[in-house]
Amino acid sequence: MTHVPTGSPSSGYHRYHIPTKPAPDIEKWPSRFKVKVRRTGLAKLLLSEIVHYRGRKDVILSRPCMYGVFSGPVGGFMPREEHCVGCLRCTTEFPEFVRIEHNPERQKLGDSYFTFNYVDQIAYEASSGLVPVRGAGYRGKFGGEGWDGMWTDMSEIVRPTRDGIHGRETISTVVDIGYTPNFLQFDAAGQPVGNTPHYLSIQLPILFDGGDLPRDGHIARMYACAAAELDTLAVLPFEQALGLGQYAHAIVPVVRAEHAQQLGQLGFTPRMVEMHGWDDGLYAAIIAAFPQAIIALRTGFGDAPALVGYAQRGVKVFHLVADYHGRSADGRFVLDLIRDAHKAFVDAGIREEVTLLGSGGMIAAEHMPKAMICGLDAVAVDTPPLVALQARFEGECASRTASRFSLPAGLNEAWGVQRLKNLAASWRDQLLEILGAMGLREVRRLRGEMGRAMFMKTLEADAFAGLLGYSEAANG
Amino acid sequence: MASIAGKTDEQLIVEKHIANFHRGFAYWPRAEEAPPALGDSRWTQDLILATWLMAETGKPPDNGLEYKIGASGGGFDVLDFNIPSEDKWLPADTEIDLSIPLNRRDDGAQLKIDLPMYGGGMSYGSISEHVMQARARAAQQLGTFTSTGEGGYPPSLVPYKDHIITQVATGMFGVREETIQYAPIVEFKYAQGAKPGLGGHLLGDKATDVVAAMRESVPWVSLFSPFPFHSVYSVEDHRKHVDWIRTTNPRALVSVKVSTPTDVDMVAVGSYFAGAHIVHLDGSYGGTGAAPEIAKKNIAMPIEFAIPKVHKYLVSENVREEVTLMASGGVRTAYDVAKAIALGADGCVMGTAELIAIGCTRCSNCERGRGCPFGLTTTDPLLQQLMPADWGQQRIVNMYTAYAAQLRDLLRKLGLHSIRELRGRRDLLKYVG
Ligand code: SF4
Ligand code: SF4
Repeated sequence: MTHVPTGSPSSGYHRYHIPTKPAPDIEKWPSRFKVKVRRTGLAKLLLSEIVHYRGRKDVILSRPCMYGVFSGPVGGFMPREEHCVGCLRCTTEFPEFVRIEHNPERQKLGDSYFTFNYVDQIAYEASSGLVPVRGAGYRGKFGGEGWDGMWTDMSEIVRPTRDGIHGRETISTVVDIGYTPNFLQFDAAGQPVGNTPHYLSIQLPILFDGGDLPRDGHIARMYACAAAELDTLAVLPFEQALGLGQYAHAIVPVVRAEHAQQLGQLGFTPRMVEMHGWDDGLYAAIIAAFPQAIIALRTGFGDAPALVGYAQRGVKVFHLVADYHGRSADGRFVLDLIRDAHKAFVDAGIREEVTLLGSGGMIAAEHMPKAMICGLDAVAVDTPPLVALQARFEGECASRTASRFSLPAGLNEAWGVQRLKNLAASWRDQLLEILGAMGLREVRRLRGEMGRAMFMKTLEADAFAGLLGYSEAANG
Repeated sequence: MASIAGKTDEQLIVEKHIANFHRGFAYWPRAEEAPPALGDSRWTQDLILATWLMAETGKPPDNGLEYKIGASGGGFDVLDFNIPSEDKWLPADTEIDLSIPLNRRDDGAQLKIDLPMYGGGMSYGSISEHVMQARARAAQQLGTFTSTGEGGYPPSLVPYKDHIITQVATGMFGVREETIQYAPIVEFKYAQGAKPGLGGHLLGDKATDVVAAMRESVPWVSLFSPFPFHSVYSVEDHRKHVDWIRTTNPRALVSVKVSTPTDVDMVAVGSYFAGAHIVHLDGSYGGTGAAPEIAKKNIAMPIEFAIPKVHKYLVSENVREEVTLMASGGVRTAYDVAKAIALGADGCVMGTAELIAIGCTRCSNCERGRGCPFGLTTTDPLLQQLMPADWGQQRIVNMYTAYAAQLRDLLRKLGLHSIRELRGRRDLLKYVG
């Protein structure tokens, strides 16, 4: 059944809101914990309690678990480990015969980059639409490489605040994609002449990037529908965009040189088109076929000066793509690559004229504001929506062409669209937490705000320089 | 097993679980293996078990458990002390002073604490009343303080009021004239490190009738303490807060609890000039009842980086000797306390370590439904009986007693007679990352 979008693209003002509703997993995943109970120990305990408490049933049956693991028909003899939250109360009370272990099957989800913790988090976000909230402080490593080596700033006294997060004020997550000239020129009659702004606005800095994933149209349709309902964009291979005219407003077809003569087959006029790698003929063909469309160049990260060259040839939107582990062809990580690209345009004096989108290695809500602080206008997520749809990684999935993901049987469109919307809602709400903490009222102000970034290497050098054994060269 | 005569089912259930808990807390630190799913990078299995052992015995572990550092790979875990050769150590019977003054100005009461640590704010509602009582009694016994957090001041704490800091935060939950008048120290919470910039949040499930009554709010409704103070946009505005407290309770010291943004040094100096006696820096990796995961991990800097930044700036502004700098947010062990002081703090504010001493496994389920299955971060009347206040008091006292022994031993080996001599002694630290 085709899922019919309930929202419509922005027409006039409306307060942006993403409707969420629970969309539980359709494929059973391994439980988080393994619960091992030695049955003889449990039987002995039961017997001794029956004797001691002389049949006072409520006392005898009062077991440690508050989460129903031992509440099945045969109690602890058949623990329902899918309910276990790992509180360890049972093993504390009965160390002799209860063991709680992490389930290695669960830990195999994902791959070496998209580790099971990220998979877990996305599964929660996509099923609930909520911001993950937990007690007991931070449990992870101190800092680390890549995204983990960066913190975002906050402000002790400024607004907007939780008021913004809870809806009494607005924090805007609208981003513009396209071209804005550094200044306007006007003729004698006061009319703008020469280069004028040409952009589209989307309601959140998250696009769905299906541009490299050869899949059946089922997934493409879900991406398109969810993007339409969210008032954002789904980047889809040209072949998969065919026949999705219903969602024209939300679809960005990725076209290659071989599509130059087939653009008319699309059946609708897209607001934006991505050109897969530079090609003079294709560029001209896109302009001819869709004169109003914004044209983006989809290309690898890494060669920042070349990007400036393309901007001078007319391209104003760049969709920079790292592999699924966030690496460029020469092995550098996306966090540095974004900064390089951003800086190249700043140095050329045209950063305000272009839009930078990025994909690859951005797999958690926190990566989105970090990527924007480093210089992106918006993030185009690639593997996270697949994980939201409960795709399983088949081996290591770093390569955009060779990686394989298997999708759950019974995938249906309404469920998939809701999962994608829930994911977007959760990520947006987490973005609002970050923006609220900084006192920023709109996400556009986040882009390239490097003063709001704190890097572990720099902070560590400031704090520990001069200590015996600390070498800035080794650590910085 | 205890006798069952004359007892209700509820009493028997509580007794049964308490007995089992106590057996488990004693068993695991001495067992050959650790509970497999216990611990994380910051609070490792060893650190949790060592804390349980210290809470039981009052002594540092002697069975090989690692009780000094965790496995986070950074911050305190990559620092160690540069211990001189044994001939430079002070004699074993040297008196080592662990006390620190909390007021370095010439106004207000000249308070001092016997240990360079006090308990951080945990509110009525986020933790059980029994836990609050245990902390308050332990603070009294140890000659230090604990803080109410923002959620009111249960009458059962009044007997310990000389050891209780009253917290004033943006929601003003439970802040009353008499609770300010009780307070030897009033703490303004501008931000908390566990969720910097986000304010407080008590989930509706934990806002029971009694919690709501204490907070003068509506039962079973989530409570937000908005961030920031909408009445404070400048040093002068903060000064007005200080004046308010001074008017209500002229002898109270004022503490300002702030988080750790890039400009934390400016914030600290501003707090000093607004009249604060204590600047309390709360770093980003500390404990909380409930916080968005994104905030815990990503916003603001860890305390290890904030302390030297602030210390240096206070020195350069010539006000370091006029203000007490307390640090919190991921301070887990006596060695973390010593490292924080060597980096420039006067002392530390402890939270999670106290909860671990009384049975927390750091399972991160505090925010769920009825709250903590060990009866700590809960408002459930049955669950909170699982942690009796007198037992908790003794465990917390024992843990700090073990910490004090470690601090004295360390200072003696460093050739220092008092903890105050350790402040800012970066030369005594080494980097082992
Ligand atoms: S660890 Fe906690 S949730 Fe899991 S079975 Fe034991 S008591 Fe239940
Ligand atoms: S719920 Fe878990 S983490 Fe929270 S206080 Fe209880 S034992 Fe500790």
